[in-house]
Formats: sequence, structure tokens, C-alpha cells
Amino acid sequence: MAKKALFTLTLNGEDTEVATAPDATLLETLRDGLGVLSPKRGCNQGVCGACTVLIDGLPVRACLTLTARCEGHDLRTMEGMNSDPVMATLQRHMVESGGVQCGFCTSGMLLSARNLLAETPRPSRETVKSALSGNLCRCTGYRTIVDAVCNAAEELTP
Amino acid sequence: MSLDAPFAGSTVGKPVAKVDSLEKVRGQAQYIADLYRPGMLHGAILASPHPHARILGYDLTAALAAPGVVAIVTGDDVGDGRMGAFIKDEHAIARGKVMYVGEPVAAVAARTEAEARAACRLIEVRYEELPAVLSPEDGLAEDAPILHEHLADYIKVFDAGSQGNLCSRTRLEEGNVDTAWDQCDVIVEGEYTTQAQAHVSMEPCGALAEVDANGRVTLWSANQSVFRVQANVCESLGLPMSQLRSLTPRVGAGFGNKMEPHIQPICVALAIKAQRPVKMILSREEDFEMVRARHPFKVWMKTGARADGTLVARECRVLLDCGAFADDSPGVMGYALLMSGGPYRIPHMRASGQLVYTNKLRFGAFRGFGNPQVLFAGEQQIDQIAEKVGLDAFAMRRKNMLREGDTWFVGPKIASNGLARCLDVVEQAASTPRADGRPRNFGLAVSAHISGLLGTGAIVRMLEDGTISLNTGATDIGQGSDTVLAQICAEELKVPLDRVAVASPDTDGSPYNWGTTASRVTYTTGRAVKAAARAVVDKAMDHAAEMLECPIEDLELREGGRIGRKGANTDLTFAQISGRAHWAAGGPIVGANTLVFDEPTHDPKRAIALGLPFPRIGVFSFAAMGVDVDVDPVSGQVSVHEAWSAADVGRAINPRLVEVQLHGGFVQGLGYALVEEMVWDGARLANPSLMDYKVPTMRDVPDAIHTYIIEDPEPSGPFGAKGAGEIGLNPVVGAVANAVAQATGARHHHLPLSGERVLNGMTGAGG
Amino acid sequence: MTQVLFPDTLDQAVALLADHPEARPIAGGATLVAMRNAGLVDSSHLISLDRIAGLRGIERLADGRLRVGAMTRHADTAGSDLLTGSLMVVRKAAGMIANKVVRNMGTMGGSVANADPAADYLPALACADAVLSFLGPEGARDVPILDYVQDWYETALEPGEILTAITLPAPEAAASTYRKIARVSGDYATASCAMALTADGQGLRVAIGACGPGPIRDRDAEAALHGHLHDAGAVAEFAAALVALADPVDDVRGSAEYRLALIPRLITLVLAELNPVMEAA
Repeated sequence: MAKKALFTLTLNGEDTEVATAPDATLLETLRDGLGVLSPKRGCNQGVCGACTVLIDGLPVRACLTLTARCEGHDLRTMEGMNSDPVMATLQRHMVESGGVQCGFCTSGMLLSARNLLAETPRPSRETVKSALSGNLCRCTGYRTIVDAVCNAAEELTP
Repeated sequence: MSLDAPFAGSTVGKPVAKVDSLEKVRGQAQYIADLYRPGMLHGAILASPHPHARILGYDLTAALAAPGVVAIVTGDDVGDGRMGAFIKDEHAIARGKVMYVGEPVAAVAARTEAEARAACRLIEVRYEELPAVLSPEDGLAEDAPILHEHLADYIKVFDAGSQGNLCSRTRLEEGNVDTAWDQCDVIVEGEYTTQAQAHVSMEPCGALAEVDANGRVTLWSANQSVFRVQANVCESLGLPMSQLRSLTPRVGAGFGNKMEPHIQPICVALAIKAQRPVKMILSREEDFEMVRARHPFKVWMKTGARADGTLVARECRVLLDCGAFADDSPGVMGYALLMSGGPYRIPHMRASGQLVYTNKLRFGAFRGFGNPQVLFAGEQQIDQIAEKVGLDAFAMRRKNMLREGDTWFVGPKIASNGLARCLDVVEQAASTPRADGRPRNFGLAVSAHISGLLGTGAIVRMLEDGTISLNTGATDIGQGSDTVLAQICAEELKVPLDRVAVASPDTDGSPYNWGTTASRVTYTTGRAVKAAARAVVDKAMDHAAEMLECPIEDLELREGGRIGRKGANTDLTFAQISGRAHWAAGGPIVGANTLVFDEPTHDPKRAIALGLPFPRIGVFSFAAMGVDVDVDPVSGQVSVHEAWSAADVGRAINPRLVEVQLHGGFVQGLGYALVEEMVWDGARLANPSLMDYKVPTMRDVPDAIHTYIIEDPEPSGPFGAKGAGEIGLNPVVGAVANAVAQATGARHHHLPLSGERVLNGMTGAGG
Repeated sequence: MTQVLFPDTLDQAVALLADHPEARPIAGGATLVAMRNAGLVDSSHLISLDRIAGLRGIERLADGRLRVGAMTRHADTAGSDLLTGSLMVVRKAAGMIANKVVRNMGTMGGSVANADPAADYLPALACADAVLSFLGPEGARDVPILDYVQDWYETALEPGEILTAITLPAPEAAASTYRKIARVSGDYATASCAMALTADGQGLRVAIGACGPGPIRDRDAEAALHGHLHDAGAVAEFAAALVALADPVDDVRGSAEYRLALIPRLITLVLAELNPVMEAA
């Protein structure tokens, strides 16, 4: 096997060392190297959004991001959002609205929504759709997801 | 939770949250790609570059020497077993011949997925190319190359009439169509084509297999039925079913694509050869190229009515591209023909179809399975007749619709029918003016769909502390069947929902379940759950009668899981009863029920049915859908401004989950109606990626999709419930096509209704 | 196995490219990593421009022109207040690329270097009369946008050269905008139209996207149209000139015929959108 590269990542608030192929994508590193499994490989082409993670708070595609570029940046996956009260509110509304069906898109969808509420605390429905349109869902028809984000925003910013 | 918590009240009819919601919003749900086993290898597939070629030999030398490679499987390793739901025509992996571009021809197990994929590229396969069949018409041509030389020898589970490249044919007939046209004042006739649609479940297909010291295989996979996985793997690899245990992790949705096999047989063959666990996860491109897709249909349809709009006769002929293997295709065609009359009283009907093998990926079941294709033709013709006789779309449908007690085409009885109420709510809601003042471009369609089909079962166990374990073998594909079945179980036992644990399907321990498909789990498995839970209640009553020393007739089941004497305050908890059963008398309490849907489809006294693949089909759900569309005058692109979707589901066990089915079905149907299309460049799929094959995004969907749950209880259904999974998708193509016709004046006969087609219709360049 | 190198300066990047002729420069990765994932890139080296100072962001030059660093993300371009008037077309195009998440990753330099004929920047930059700056072993050179695309996915960017910046003329007060027809939100264009009014409000600059290997512009036809914007016949003649230059293909987004039909329709549509601005002027 070819020589691996060693990277130090700041993942979910902790410095984490990982050895991977030098050109490994962040998705490969998270899933195969670190066992961080909430980002999903839905297309590996940056279209579906199931691998969405936050880098310095901004949602990006883990499948299109080279691990080598991630050193020195703050990486967040759903595994690192447990103590985030905004995410907890989003999660609760996703459950209550019926925005969770098969769940494969859910982490990516929620991380995009988390960034949206950081930028725009009370988004209109159109703004929600625009911000989340890069996260595909094949089950819900989207309506209940938009409901969940809007309801969470309303609760967080009355 | 506290075992002493008071019963929260009835759960049936309540929009309770799905039991798997929390793990999913926290990113903790485990799908097939998330499973790991000690010593596990990763598998990858080499796909055929040819649509039809004889395999002359393999050179595996370079691939076997590649870094990390442990085992390689080809057609030489899998024996001559063949699998298939209706016609057993498919090997585990290409053997002797390749039949479509993308067909797995070899598979490698290596230490990493990257190594396995790299080694696949080093495999050399020598082919002798054969002429290919790329359309059903070509397949029926006299000089067509024959794709399945041994078709006559294949095992078939119905009278398929297979010959040459004809995989199956079906013909249904009632009344006398040929003489009925003379009674018609108005006749419409047309040819329609529908496209191949990809399922695009967000999770690509995958499997993980391992073999124990005795050679017994454990197999996890993305599936809609652990039992169909077991049957397919065992048939294709020649294993006794007792030698294979099939399990499921969480499934990232299935719309028919995960019902029959994908790579499970190959994964098992690799694990057996490597004697190590092997995981295989398809890339999105492979998932497009080698799993399955919705059939392209050619439909010819003719409908006749009297001057007052009363329907008299319909004839429908369909020609289906089967792809390389039969898979669920005979069922799809047979069902499409059964549905071809729509939910109407039409005394004279004939429907016939041919299913033809081609050198394309297998087409198979996809939400609606054949119903949307014929509905696209049928609901447009209903509108056209209404226009000719001067009825509005609602009046036309009310005049002709089937009623409770009527008989469906060829024989099934309709016991419950809420279609009239569906039409009422849609008409009332859609009669409101648009906020922007523009007249509506309104289109209407109605649909019916079955739920029923085949075998199912449930085992309900009372645990020592009086809580409940429910085991059905039904895979929850995200739609919420674990939750709905738990609600039915909790309701029957009068226990809180959180005291019912739902077991994950396991062919070692679960009762048989044909699968999570055809809108059947709530209705069919729900019946078994209710009966099994009732058996548990009966046994608990027996115990209570002995414990309280009174006749059973004096006892009552009380909320919270207690049994007491009528009129007395004292009672026994399930914990007390179950403790006695476990340790003192009678034995642990288990209730079990199995059933198979057994109402015949065909009544030979009223109709002819030749080659009917589903002799016992199901009960009927109904829907009406209205849409108001905008057509962009520049591009011809259609968007839905507002939609109304009403469905009679008998009883909504969980109204929230029914609503999401209607929303999700609508959007998947909208993709099918407007943009989704698998395109072939010769024999090769031209758009096997999400870059090139587009599904609707959040921005392509209207906010104003109104759903209406109509409840006309089905006497045989659990608490009156019947299926809800497909009824919200079926009518979309019809409603949209009718709305586009109103908006543009042009009738469309080809799906999808792309901007290009609609613009051509508007400019007179032909639709 | 592919190595990823992180030069700190452009000169280092150019030197690395010279050392590894088969290496590929990589910007945001939105396209190149997707190609790598599909097994379509087997370079021994990827040379990341990520850590090179001065490649990010939009700055106003002393003469009023705007310089867009190659590594400027679509999201920054889409939100830039510097892109006004005649340059609004670039901002609008940036905001229509894919979706918000991809706009956080992709860069103008990466997109232009990839030269996908259906991508959004090329027509917008053609309409804006952008100039591309390359740096290679022979030094720096500038190429006008209309000389950039030479054939399908073939450009003036030579092996060993790096696209460093896109320079836009000083914004004029006149209006501009961008429209595309796409199958769904975020898809590549089936056909697109970038349009700007000239400073005097009497003429147009128009570039059509996704209807040939590169953006389609016709300066002669623009000159002929000057002063006749309200003459439907003249506009139709102008559109016909662009149709004549188009060389579209049939693909999964639409047929060549459809694309040709869309060109005049898009021009009429976008002109009507700019019309209120014209009237006000």
C-alpha cells in the first residue's frame, strides 16, 4: 500500500490525528479513517448533500473537500452537535414535523439548516428552500423539512 | 420510562413521532455502509462494457497480484442457479453471457474499497460481441437475436406464455369490447410513451456478508424484504435457505429498487470465496446502471362513452421494455393492465400487454408499479371525453366512478371507497381563486391502488415485566412501518407505545414477510399484528381468570396493560400476569398470527384472464388530485403553483406519516411528470449520475401542497386501515398533463413534460 | 497515489507545475475532486492554490477596474457590493451556480479553468468583457475572455500555466443581468443569457451560454443593434445573428433544436427585464 499521509484535524472541538491517502477526501477520512459515520456517501459528486459538514461554520461537501486542506480549520459533523442548543431545537422540530423519513439526508440537511439559522435567525420559507436546496431528499417531498426549520427558527427567535 | 406511567391513551389515529426519529436526527442511525465486521474486506464490481456478448474467458492474473486483493468471483464461481420473482432467469453474476452495459461480470474483495476498485480495472475479460436488442419492438422482430436461449426451461410461477424474446404476455377481458364501440357516441384514442425513471433512493445499494465455521452465511443489506434477499441469494447460489440468515440495518429508503436482489448474491459469493466478511457499497453511478428502474411503457388506449358521458368501453394495449431479466416486470405489467380502466364503471374492457427482453438493465417495481404509466393515458382520455360531452372534470368522474360494493375489472370486490369524498374536498379547495388573480390552469386526476398481496406474519411476546416485543419481519424503509405496527400492537393491548419494542427483521427469528412494497405493510402485516396482539390478550385473560378465580367473561382489558374484574377496582398488571406465566404456570405468553391475502383477483364467471401474475391482489385505496400549473412562456417549463392531494386510506393509523407519504409521493411523481428521464446513448446509459439525472430540489416544489386524509374504513383492515404508500404518486402525471392541456391547449402523449416538449406543444411544433 | 502540494506563492506553484508536467492545479475542488472520485483524474500531483496569499477576494484597482482573485468563492462573488451596474451580471451568475453549499466551495478561477460550456460564469464574463490573467514559466499574460475558449473544453490556458485572476472593466451605471433555463434549481444551464446595457443605454452586450463550446457574442451585431433597442425587428435580427453563431449539442438537458429556439426567447425576456431600467434612464 502506498504511503499514507498524517493529518491533524480539529474535529468536533478535538485535535485528532489520522493517517489516510494523501489525496483522501474529507468524507473518506471521516468515515473510513475515523469512524465518523453521520456524513453519508450518497453520490460522491457533490450533488446530493448527504455528506454535508460544517467547516468554520459553513456547510460544505465532505466528498469534494481534500482532507489536506482541512488542517487548521474547525470541522463539525452531527456527532459534534450534541451540546448545541440550536441544533437540539432543529432536531426536535424535525422529529415533530415528520421531516425524518429514511434519515439518510437528515444530518446534512440539519447542518445546512444550522448554518442558515446562524446567518438568518428568522428565514422566510423561500430563504429556507434556497439555503437547503443543495440537500436532496427523496422521501418527504421537503414540505415537512421546511416546516421544521421555520418552526425551530420561530421558537429560537420569537 | 417508568413502568408505572399511566396509559397515555389511544395511539391509533395519533400523529406520534416515528420510533427511529431520534437516532436519525442525531446522525446515529446505521445504514449498510456504516456496518463493520472484524477482518472485513471491501468488494467492488467490474461492469460489462457490452450490451450483449459471450464471455469467452477471464484473465485474473494481474488483478489477483494487485495490492490488497484476497478473492475474485466471476460467473465460473456461482453455479447454474437462477433467481427471479416470477421467472427464474438471472444468475448471481454474469455467467456465459453479459446482457447489458453495467452488468456485474466480476467482483473483487480486497482490504480497501480503493484497492478493490483498482483491481477490477486489471481484470481482463475476453468477449465475443453479439448483436444487441435495444427496444421491445426490435426484440419482437423475426430475425431478432435471442437473449435467453433456454427461456423454455426456466421456472415460472405463472402462465407467462414466454417465447423468443417475449418474457410474458397478459390479457384481461370483460364484456364485449368489439361490439361496444357501436354504442359509443364519443371515442378517443391515442398512443402514449412513458420514460424510464430512476428510483434515486438517497442511499445507494449495498451488502455485507460473512460466513461462519459451519459455512452458514449472515447477510446484512439495504433491502425491502429480508426474505426476498434470502430467497434470491439461495436460489442463485444453490444454498439451502437454512444456510443463510438475512438481516437489515436501517434502510436509506426504497421505492421498489431494494425489493429484489441487487448485489447481495455477489457479496455472498465473495465472502464464501474469501472466507472473510465482505462489504460492498455501490457508487451512485453503479446504482443507476445495475440496480433497476421504472419501465418505459408504450401505451395504446381507446375509450368510448355515450353522449351523456357514461363510459362504455375501453381497450388498452401496452408494450414494456423488460430489460435483461424478468425481475418484477411480469407483475408490473399485469398490475398495469388491471389498473388500466381506472376507478370507473366500464362494462366493456380489454387490456393486453407484451413484455419483451432487451439488452438494458432490468426494469422492475417502482412506487406505483405500472399504475402511473396507464394513468397518464387514461386520465387524459377521461378529460377529453368530458370536454367532448360538455361535462366538467369532476362531474365526469363522479358520473362514472366505481362505488362501494362494485366489482373492479375482472373480479375484485370493492368493500370501501372514499373516492367521492376525495373529489369533494379537492373540488371545494381548488375552487378558491388564486391570490394573484390569474385564472387557474387546473388539472384533475383520480386513482386507485391496492394493498394486500401475499404472505405475512407477526409474533407478539409479553416479556417478564409485562412489556411487549413485536416481531414482524417487515423492513421499515423510512416510511414508518415500525411505528405504525407498534401503534396497532399497543392499541390492541392497551399499553403505551413506548412499551412496545419493534424487533429488526431477521430471517432466523421473524415470521415471513413478502416485503415492504405495494403499499401492503400497514394493511397486510397490520392485520397479523392485530391478531397476534389479540392472541396475547386472550392468553393473559386465561391467566387472569385463574389468578382472580372468575370466569373470563367477567374480565376486562384496561388501559395501561391491566386486566380486572368488571365493576371491581382491583386488577392485575401485565407484569404480574407475565411473571406467573414465566415462572409458575402456563409458560411465557406469545401470540402469533400469519396470513396470506387470499381474495381472488379473477372471477372467471365475469372475465377472461390469461397470464395473470397476481391471482390474489388486495383491497383498494382511492385518491383524487388537483394541480394548478404555471407554464413559462419562454422555456415551456411547467411548475406547479398549488396542488391538492386527497386520499382514502381507510383509517390513518398515523396521520402525520400518511401526510408525508402524500407529500413525498407527490414530489416523486412531479419529478417523473416533468424532468426525470433515464436516457440511453445506444446501449449505454447517458446520464447515470446526479449531475446529469435530476430530481426535484426544495426550490422546485410548491409550498402549497394541500393534503387531505379521507377515512372510509376497510372492513378487513386493521382498525379500518388500507395502503397509503403509492396512492399519492399515481395521479400526478395525469393531473399535470390535464393542467398543461388547459394551460397550453396541447395534449401531450410523451413523458416527461419537459420544457422542450411543452414549448413545442405551444408553438405547434408537436408535443 | 496522488500527492497534494501546497505552494505558498504563485511562483512556487508554477515551478511545481513545471516539475510535474502531468500535475493539475486545484482551486476549490468542486469539479476536480468530483472527477477524482469518478476515477477520471490520475495525476501524480494536485497543486492546491489554497494557501497562496492574494488569490482570494475582489479588489478595486486604481483605475476603477475590478480584480477577482482566482480563488474567490462563488458565495463571495454573489455577495459582493463591488459588482454593480454593468457587472451585476457576474454577481447574478455567481448566485445561480449550483446551490448554497457548492457556492461555499467553488471558485471563479476553478470554474473558468474547467471551461464547462454550460457553466454560468463564462457567458457573464463574456458579457462583462473580462480579461483573464495567466502565469506560467514564460511569465504573465492576459487573454480577453472571448479569445479564451477555443473548442469543447479546450482553452487558451497552456499546460504549465495557472489562471490567477479575472479582471473586469470599471462598472458602468447601466444595468445588467443573467438568466438561465435549467431543468431544476442548481442544474447546469440548458441555455443562458448574460446581458448588459451599454453606458449610453442605447445598446447591448449579450453573451449566450451552453449553446456552443464557449460563450457566444457578436460585437458587429451589437453595433448594428445600437440605437434600435425598441425595434422588435432589429432585436429579432440581432438574435438571429447569435443563433447563427451557436453550435449547440443534443444532450440530457435538451436538444440542440430546443437550445436554438431558446436563444431569441431568452434575449427577448432579458431585454424586457432590463427595459424598466432603460425607461428610467
